[in-house]
Amino acid sequence: MLMGALSLSVMTASAQQDYTTPLKATWDAFDTTMAPDVQMQLANKLVLISKKWSNDWAPHFYVALSKAYMSYNEKDEAKHDAILDEAEKELGDAVSILGKQTDETWVVAAMIANSRLAVNPMQRWQKYGKIFNEDLENAKEINPNNPRMYYLKAVSTFFTPKNFGGGKKNALPYFEKADGFYAKEDNKDVNKPYWGKARNTYFLAQCKIEDKE
Amino acid sequence: MKRLLFFIYCIPGLLLTVSAGAQIKISGTILDSKNKGVKGANVYIDNTIDGATADSDGVFSFTTTEKGNMTLVVTDPKYKLQGMPMMLTHDTSGIVIHLLNAIRNLEDVTITAGSFASGDRTKTVMNPIEIVTTAGSNGDLVKAMEMMPGTQQTGTETGLFVRGGDASEVAIIADGMVVQSAFSNSGPGVPGRSRFNPFQFQGVAFSSGGYSARFGQALSGVLDLNTTDLPDKSNVNLGINSGGVYASGTKRWKKSSFDAGGGYNNLTPFYKIAKTNFNFYDVPVGGSGYARYVWTPNKNAILKASVNTSFSHSGIKLPNPYTDTSNSFQYLGDSIRFTNRDLNTYGSISYKQVFKNKYTLFTAASYSLDRTNNSFGNDYFSFPIKQDEHRAQFRIEGKDFVTNHFTVSVGAELQSFGLDKNFGYGYDTQNKQVLTMAQNFIETQEVAYAEAEWTPIYWLALKPGVRYEHSTLLNKNDIAPRLSMAIKTGMHSQISLATGVFYQAPGNLYLLTYTDPNHPTKLTLGDSINMQSAIHYIANWQWTKSDRTFRIEGYYKSYQNLIRELNTFYDPNRYRTSIDGTSINNSGYGYAQGFELFWRDKKTFKNTDYWISYSYIDTKRLYENFPVSATPTFIAKHTLNVVGKYFVDKLHTNFSATYSFSSGYPYYNPNRPQTEGNFLKDVTTPTFNNVALTIAYLHSFGKWFSVFYLSADNILNTHNVFGERYIYNSANQTYMQSPIVPPLYRTIFIGANFSLSQFSKDEL
Repeated sequence: MLMGALSLSVMTASAQQDYTTPLKATWDAFDTTMAPDVQMQLANKLVLISKKWSNDWAPHFYVALSKAYMSYNEKDEAKHDAILDEAEKELGDAVSILGKQTDETWVVAAMIANSRLAVNPMQRWQKYGKIFNEDLENAKEINPNNPRMYYLKAVSTFFTPKNFGGGKKNALPYFEKADGFYAKEDNKDVNKPYWGKARNTYFLAQCKIEDKE
Repeated sequence: MKRLLFFIYCIPGLLLTVSAGAQIKISGTILDSKNKGVKGANVYIDNTIDGATADSDGVFSFTTTEKGNMTLVVTDPKYKLQGMPMMLTHDTSGIVIHLLNAIRNLEDVTITAGSFASGDRTKTVMNPIEIVTTAGSNGDLVKAMEMMPGTQQTGTETGLFVRGGDASEVAIIADGMVVQSAFSNSGPGVPGRSRFNPFQFQGVAFSSGGYSARFGQALSGVLDLNTTDLPDKSNVNLGINSGGVYASGTKRWKKSSFDAGGGYNNLTPFYKIAKTNFNFYDVPVGGSGYARYVWTPNKNAILKASVNTSFSHSGIKLPNPYTDTSNSFQYLGDSIRFTNRDLNTYGSISYKQVFKNKYTLFTAASYSLDRTNNSFGNDYFSFPIKQDEHRAQFRIEGKDFVTNHFTVSVGAELQSFGLDKNFGYGYDTQNKQVLTMAQNFIETQEVAYAEAEWTPIYWLALKPGVRYEHSTLLNKNDIAPRLSMAIKTGMHSQISLATGVFYQAPGNLYLLTYTDPNHPTKLTLGDSINMQSAIHYIANWQWTKSDRTFRIEGYYKSYQNLIRELNTFYDPNRYRTSIDGTSINNSGYGYAQGFELFWRDKKTFKNTDYWISYSYIDTKRLYENFPVSATPTFIAKHTLNVVGKYFVDKLHTNFSATYSFSSGYPYYNPNRPQTEGNFLKDVTTPTFNNVALTIAYLHSFGKWFSVFYLSADNILNTHNVFGERYIYNSANQTYMQSPIVPPLYRTIFIGANFSLSQFSKDEL
């Protein structure tokens, strides 16, 4: 059981520690796996961390982020929305503890909107496409150097049909832009979100593979 | 409910104690109410980070160093949280916990009687894209509603005909404001198109009865439109089609936006190619312009202001309906010219604010003026029908979200509307001049309403409401109670019920004639005329599961106090300008009953959305100038629509096809006596059949996103007949019969739309 091992490594720290060590270990594991079952177990672990250290913003933030990530796998519209409702609640908790919206919270809000769109694009692009763009604009206003907003825009463009202005070719400049900003970050402090780099690198490579269509 | 119970089985060993110090292993199974494992459930010791995730059999296992009295908690988005107190002293296995469905995992119970509500948490029956991709709608949102159950197919009439009601019985509401002149002005027999661009709206909700206390002055139905909020970004949009050209632009700032646009239509080239059944001596020409400003001062408020204006003119040559008697228009000859001229202006402003996520305040005001300058005559005379129709209105509404399961709204409305009319009623042969007369009325209605939405338990929703209406002109007060409810009958099915009383003022023709102080049969309206009324009883059963919907709905509607003209003959001309020599009262009545089936499926076939709607209606009424009770000429007993849409990814092309069917329409045959059973007895043959096709191809030219479309209505060129017209031939003193046909049988329309959004690589 891969998961058992992961859980143990997270839990061996003493009970008096603060949240940063287990949070970083769990999040880093989440950020670098693509296996849905492993993601689910790690997301559950994040929930526990957020329950135990419920007065800190970061655990709530990562629960919201992990749920937003995982919601993309759920194709049933009602269940998909139920997961995102939870993500929104956790993000709201993070924002109220912080006392303000930051570029990072706007980026996660944008991701939630994008996932709401993704479950039923034909019906939802109009409403959630707009929210997605607005959230990213808000993030950009606070910090134009945040790579994650370019990453989200890039992924959204990547999965948009070519004739609606999407596709690999149109997504590439965004991935490149994100890549530049990711390069200037480090992944030392879980309180300064650094997520998304591995996936950005993955998609960047995908975009450069010859588009056969 | 067995689901309300849950069981926790603990093995006896759980409470035994062992020596402290070691790590404790905890394992067990998480099951749902059907004893299936809950994959992904999060199982943990409360307030620690010790826990595990259940696998696909519901099995979990983890170790902890915690000791003593703790709580084992199980969470999953689909289920209610469960907690189990336990004494942590030694390894524990075999724990079995059953989870209960969370309420919100069931689809919300929504009241659907008489109305169409679809998923995505909005009560939208169709969004703009769905409207324009519905073949046969020709991009007209009202026409698209004719593909839904409860409506009649119309090829020669203007407006929406719902469940036995005529076009005047449907109120069209945009942002809480009554749309006074929703359709373009057109000649007799030429259906007017709705003035809206579907992309003005976020969505369209259609009610064919039993609707909310927020709305009134409609005996049959409501079309509730909500305009779009702040646009995404700045853009430019250009279009051209076989009927005209249009352009619009939007400038988006951070918290506000301004957009403006205009268009020009001229059907001359189109009518050069298409073969028309009517003689258009003045081919329809029109133009329009609009400006709109949206401002969001904060994230909980939005202000919208807009002005719209449009003009149109057209002229057709028609058989003279007045050749049979000593009518003053007899000598116009066998055919008459009918000219339309119209100038419509409309301005509105609305403001909505949410306070503390608990209260909302909505206010709106609008003014509209529709100036028509129609006339009819021949090459020598022309009889004017000039009309200024105006309406000023105001609405204020507050809503309190008391709890998640209980909301209350209260509101008030002020409507002031009227007509100034000047029309020719005869010809003075001695002085050789057209005789004209003027009539006008102003009606003010004061309205207050209250409505509650209550979901006492997850399987029951109730919506009681009451509406008070005062009419100044009639000097009458009316109270309209409304009630609708929904009961969940299973995971995916529910029953909805609705009833209520609905009022509507007598038509403009009656208000004009009988408030005219010079009219010989002037009535004192306040003493003798009441609001017309209808009572609806609606029940449906609906099943919805993952983008598939089936529903069956039945209704009974009784009409009372309909306006009736006394001691008169039936005149099939629906464009009468005055009523002479008759008095009116409220002795009219009628009923409509029927059932409707609807099936929609967006799931079974990839990229495919199709629906089937069938309506059966049985209705009779005695109203206006009907001599006896009969089924009106706009009613077909059976109506069927089959709509399909298919998007081909590879070709970037959307195909849509619609088949529509109606059984025959009753028509007036003057050779029959105007008695019960004989009046409007004849029904047209053949039946109405229409196959429509729309193909839309999407393509990007650099930054320009374009859509090319071809839309063909009645591709089989079926010669549909909507009734029969009888013209008296004074030469041989017999009636000549001719079918009532639409202006065109087959229409083929092509066009393209190009849009450019602000876009640069540095921008998001």
